[in-house]
Amino acid sequence: MESNSNQVHTLSVTDLCKSFAGLKAVDGVSFSLQTGEVFGLIGPNGSGKTTLINLITGLLPATSGTVHVDETKTTGKPPHRVSRAGIARTFQTVRLFRELTVLENVEVAAVSMGFPRREAVSTAHDLLVEMGIEGYETRLAGEIPFGYQRKLEIARALAMKPKFLLLDEPAAGLNEEESDLLLEQLRTIPLSKHVGVLIVEHDMRLMMNLCDRLHVLNYGKTIAHGTPAEVRTDPRVVSAYLGSAG
Amino acid sequence: MSLLQSPLSRMAKHSTAWILAAVLVVGAFVLNMAASGVIVDIYTYFCINLMLVLGLQIFMGNSGILNWTYVGFVGIGAYASSILSTSPAVKEMAVANMYPSLVELQTPIIPALIIGGLVAAAVAAAIAWPLMRLSNAVGVITLFATLIVIHVLMTQWDNVTNGPRTFFGVEYYTTIFIAAGAAAVTLVAAYYFRESSLGLRVRASRDDRFAAMACGVSVVGVRYYTFILSSFVAGLGGGIWAHYITSFSPKSFYMAEAFVLITMLVIGGAGSISGATIGAVIVTVMRESLRQIEGFLNNSGVIDFQVYGLTELTVAILMIIILIWRPEGIVGGQELRLPFVGSKHRSAESADEASS
Repeated sequence: MESNSNQVHTLSVTDLCKSFAGLKAVDGVSFSLQTGEVFGLIGPNGSGKTTLINLITGLLPATSGTVHVDETKTTGKPPHRVSRAGIARTFQTVRLFRELTVLENVEVAAVSMGFPRREAVSTAHDLLVEMGIEGYETRLAGEIPFGYQRKLEIARALAMKPKFLLLDEPAAGLNEEESDLLLEQLRTIPLSKHVGVLIVEHDMRLMMNLCDRLHVLNYGKTIAHGTPAEVRTDPRVVSAYLGSAG
Repeated sequence: MSLLQSPLSRMAKHSTAWILAAVLVVGAFVLNMAASGVIVDIYTYFCINLMLVLGLQIFMGNSGILNWTYVGFVGIGAYASSILSTSPAVKEMAVANMYPSLVELQTPIIPALIIGGLVAAAVAAAIAWPLMRLSNAVGVITLFATLIVIHVLMTQWDNVTNGPRTFFGVEYYTTIFIAAGAAAVTLVAAYYFRESSLGLRVRASRDDRFAAMACGVSVVGVRYYTFILSSFVAGLGGGIWAHYITSFSPKSFYMAEAFVLITMLVIGGAGSISGATIGAVIVTVMRESLRQIEGFLNNSGVIDFQVYGLTELTVAILMIIILIWRPEGIVGGQELRLPFVGSKHRSAESADEASS
């Protein structure tokens, strides 16, 4: 539900593990982030970033470890209860309600959080304007341009008035201009909406510009964390991305 | 002003359901005055079927899950309301082995119909939770199996249903006005359900259930309550049907009837109320005219063999053609806007936009 704007919330991930048969997709990952902060999760393909988001949001059950929003443990809860604890997300491949209108897509997220219908509609309108998708309200979500679909997914997540927003490759498929515009919007969201943003992205330029802290995964394990400047020069990160010379 | 729609825009938005409902009721009055008995009968039967299709649409259209069980709940409502409305003397004659407590039970017709709907809803509430956890083919197969279970119970529980034999002696109650009124009310109710908060959430779960969960929608929960509501309409419609047809057996609530209702919905477009209505109109007109043609061919001696099953064959072929040509149905997922209302709606919208 709606977070108190004066209160700082914490998302804590503790020793989270996920095994698929013999493969450890996420292996003992721990971190925490707070509202107002942009936290980047990077790593090569297959390093477990999306799995980690799926674990935090409850779409996948964790093998071990815990996730807390403040004092509330969310691991073991079904996804809709995790969302109601204050965690909203977007998906790597856009997952909109394609047969619902653009307005309804945002409205349904607010309604599901228990906001009255009138307030949900008004919130949805405001968010569409903020994200620059006004004028498309009555169009079906599946019919609008791809760049707008990406933004619509973010608007939908924000309609839940979450404490934490998890963005899984929000710039994937966008051109440089669209990506820059998105960057500008994402920069203002943590403070204006009072949310903590966890972002997974391959676009390193965007990540270095946007994130307060970065967390680097490789083969499901944490290999580095710190500010973008620290992570950029970390030899383990360079090795994971470029391959070891030896 | 763009934020919340103007009253004109809102009225225009919801006009489709009200106009269709008004047409149904006016149609009943006009036909009752001007048309022959056969036409009145066809229209009454069409209205009952429309009510049943709209009930089916409430769950199937909004959740996207093909609901074979629906016709079973129509049967539950038909039996429950008929047992309640029929006099003990007639029941003793019609159902030889009926439980004495059921024989004695009698209520006026209106409570009987409502209780019929409630019994169907109660059965749905008792069995649906685990079913609603299933999606895609598994969900459909399980609902199909549930229809078989309900059918077997109806054919075997002869202390209640008279077994596979006909349950007769039900009082005739459903006139053209009752059928049209019930269809009109269901039409408006189904429309507003689709637009309601629960309807919106269940439609979201139809489009992408993982995204819906991530948005805080309890997919199993919203499906469950929608299924119960749909089953209530099934039960109520079953009662209205039973008091029109006055004698029936469990086979009236099985594959053939389920197929007809599903065809009506699929042909018109399961996602909208206008789709359900147009599907019901097309299939009814086709069935009735083909039946006439079949009768003519068999009686006139134009051909030297008898024609059977022309109706079923044609309806099935139509269904195949629609599924190939337009899988979302003739109308598609969005409500049809009548042309003159649509232009008002558009102008109201653009006025909103201009003033924003």
